[in-house]
Amino acid sequence: MSSSRKVVELFYDVVSPYSWLGFEILCRYKTVWNIELQLRPAFLGGVIKESGNSSAALVPNKLLYARSDLKRLSQYFSVLLCFPENFHNAYAKGSLSAMRFLTAVSEKQNSGDVMIERVSREIWKRMWSADQDITLPASFSEAGLKAGLSATEVEELLQLSKCQLVKDRLKLTTEEAVKHMAFGFPLIVCHVDGKAETFFGSDRFEVMAHCIGEKWLGPQPDEQTAKI
Amino acid sequence: MSSSRKVVELFYDVVSPYSWLGFEVLCRYRNVWNIELRLRPSLLGGVMKESGNRPPAMVPNKAVYMQSDLNRLAKYFSVPVCFPENPFEVMFEKGSLNAMRFLTAVSEKETSGDVMLERVSREIWKRIWSNDQDITLPESLSEAGLKAGLSATEVEELLQLYKSQPVKDRLKHTTEEAVKHMAFGFPLTVCHVDGKAEAFFGSDRFELLAHCIGEKWLGPQPDKPTAKM
Repeated sequence: MSSSRKVVELFYDVVSPYSWLGFEILCRYKTVWNIELQLRPAFLGGVIKESGNSSAALVPNKLLYARSDLKRLSQYFSVLLCFPENFHNAYAKGSLSAMRFLTAVSEKQNSGDVMIERVSREIWKRMWSADQDITLPASFSEAGLKAGLSATEVEELLQLSKCQLVKDRLKLTTEEAVKHMAFGFPLIVCHVDGKAETFFGSDRFEVMAHCIGEKWLGPQPDEQTAKI
Repeated sequence: MSSSRKVVELFYDVVSPYSWLGFEVLCRYRNVWNIELRLRPSLLGGVMKESGNRPPAMVPNKAVYMQSDLNRLAKYFSVPVCFPENPFEVMFEKGSLNAMRFLTAVSEKETSGDVMLERVSREIWKRIWSNDQDITLPESLSEAGLKAGLSATEVEELLQLYKSQPVKDRLKHTTEEAVKHMAFGFPLTVCHVDGKAEAFFGSDRFELLAHCIGEKWLGPQPDKPTAKM
């Protein structure tokens, strides 16, 4: 069975709340679907620029809608997502350092995606749950420690995240996303029968499951209740 | 049961293929969910302008993505959406103003719920988003009307009515209503639950929408539920 595991790549950036939803769903389905989930930390700013798109945050009605949409989705998906009080400020500060830190985590990890999953989650929680900074070294340090990294490991990662190798790797991953026609995140790329099927957003799981020959069981597959 | 039917409004424009998907799904669920579906023909161009948004197809990667996304969704939803040969010309140069005015006129003249509006909307969608046919000329709207079951006389009346100021105003008004619900695109589905309006953009929120109105999402073909749901 494992030889026929379908590779599912998730291109994401922690500045994107919808990416967090997609991330949590796919992490839950890792052990339900016959998939190999590959987390691809990338830079949303780069994708928006390269694709000639403009940030959704610039259209007032889109932002208003996103607030209420995310409130509903956070309840439905059971992800503790909450808009930062000064969203524009948080958004303007950006996520470049955070994504470089996550790229460094990805470089250094040696067992699948375990650590990148945990650290990504902690950084999301900072910005999108606790309304905390995600641009300073102290912030990444806190997130890394919470995720289970040692102080030494965190120190190494903080150094590594500033080096050219990591900057280049983040750039490359971002370019890969653009090659898959990305114009925003999350971007999910499913590799089925040698073909890459891309899905934008966190609202394509039902049709995506159909495309990869799996079953969509709702946002909490391990808590299937009588209603499904 | 009918006294507690939840009103569900669908703001749509035939120039929008995703609106067609949402439309077909909601029409199928009319007899499954305890809802009163109200079709609200509006003008997407007006919503884009008022909200300061841009049509997605203007971003090259979005346009490419939309084609493959709609191909997949067409199959999954069993709605025969098919890209016209020159989508740019169809969507932006020719547009849908006459078509939406015509549908507003149909809505004005309707005597039994939304029956005729549903049928004529579907015929116009089939023209633009299945058969790559014109939807701007009176002959086109006439053909759609006749196919939907209107008589030649009724079509003639509608072709007079749709150019009138009341119809133009009504279309404008409906479009403004959509903008008031925070619309920045279509389809926009507004569910009225416990005196509150819940707005859902797009045709990919049905599972959540069902949850919000206390119903069950049974997939795109509720009368043919499969083992997976």
